[in-house]
Amino acid sequence: MAAAVIPRGNVSGLENNEFEKLAVPLLDGLYNFACWLCGDRDEARDLVQETLLKALRAFSSFRQGTNFRAWMFRILRNTFLTSRTGLERRNTQQEDEQTFAEAAVSAETPELALIRRADTELVQAAIAQLAPAWQEVVLLAEVEEMKYKEIAEALDVPIGTVMSRLARARQQIKAYIVATLSEKKVVGIKR
Amino acid sequence: MNCEQREKTALYVDGEMEAAAQQAFAGHLESCAECSASVLEQQELKKAVRVAGKKFSAPPELYAAVHRELRPKASGRSLWRWAMAPLAVLVLSLVTYLVLPRRVDPMMSGLVNQHLTTLASSNPVDIADSNLHVVKPWFQGRVPFTFNMPELAGTSFKLIGGKQVFVNQRPGAQLLYLAGQHKVSIFIFQAADRGPETRSPSWNHDLSFTVGSWTAGGRECYLVTDGNQNEAGKLATMFQEANRS
Repeated sequence: MAAAVIPRGNVSGLENNEFEKLAVPLLDGLYNFACWLCGDRDEARDLVQETLLKALRAFSSFRQGTNFRAWMFRILRNTFLTSRTGLERRNTQQEDEQTFAEAAVSAETPELALIRRADTELVQAAIAQLAPAWQEVVLLAEVEEMKYKEIAEALDVPIGTVMSRLARARQQIKAYIVATLSEKKVVGIKR
Repeated sequence: MNCEQREKTALYVDGEMEAAAQQAFAGHLESCAECSASVLEQQELKKAVRVAGKKFSAPPELYAAVHRELRPKASGRSLWRWAMAPLAVLVLSLVTYLVLPRRVDPMMSGLVNQHLTTLASSNPVDIADSNLHVVKPWFQGRVPFTFNMPELAGTSFKLIGGKQVFVNQRPGAQLLYLAGQHKVSIFIFQAADRGPETRSPSWNHDLSFTVGSWTAGGRECYLVTDGNQNEAGKLATMFQEANRS
């Protein structure tokens, strides 16, 4: 999705309309992201609503030329991080930065066959087991199809960090799929 | 093997390279088995995560709540006007129902035509496989939404395959099943409006075909067959169950 650049409004009714036009198409993505963060649909719904209200209040000060989608995800994430669930999750967050090159995935083709065999439930389990810092980066990159720069804006981290976390997250998802499908943890997983 | 260009593969699959570099690297991929294997694997993983990561859709009540919050409060007079609106709609629909001749929904006739074209074709489906784990991933990138397919083990239905279709200019997925001697098409589209998230199948026999329609998980689904409604109903219910979010 292309980055939306907003002209600044100064009449509150018009601003509301402008905001609604930009924000409503993002609801599905924000809610999906919120569900992954919170692990609870009701909490996710409240989080999205709170995000929208905060964003609407701050919309008049929204900087022209800034990426609206990244700005919205950033508000949602910051709101989450200051919530109770967010604080609990942050305390368990593992920080483990690797260099981009080191984290690049290896190319053995049998693994490709396993990735192709992985069904949606298994991939969802692989995403769910990621530490929050890896999970959010991979969701923004793959599900929201954001560019590195946009993710960096949304998460307020340098682009290099986005790249290394993304590589690490992918490596962990792949490792989870490979480990699950190649005999060790076959219990409860289809095929 | 350890290609020095290997670290560029992630940039390549993420579309983060400059156009010239992207083109140069595409050239490199043609001659480097290691990098091309890595690119292929990363592309598959991206695709799998994209589908699996899109797990939740905003419920209609969230849209409604946001809409309420973003609209300025209605005044007393306009509240009265809003209160009258449902009554006006009711009167208008009653008049329309009584006065106008019954017309077949263009979507329904489009779907029946599509089903007939499929049956008449020597290549009825684009992906022919009875395994849902083969057919479902085939639609990734071909239709702008995802959906689930029911497991058929222990039922009388057999999957023939699927194809991408356009009906009334809307992109959708068509799945072809065999139920006894009858072919059944299931059509799936992204729901056009934010109606109810889930609606049970309703049936229509106006076009000498059994046509069912329902919604599940934000998807608009249709079933077309010349078979009977009982058998078709079972498949429709299985689909609805599989897509309950």
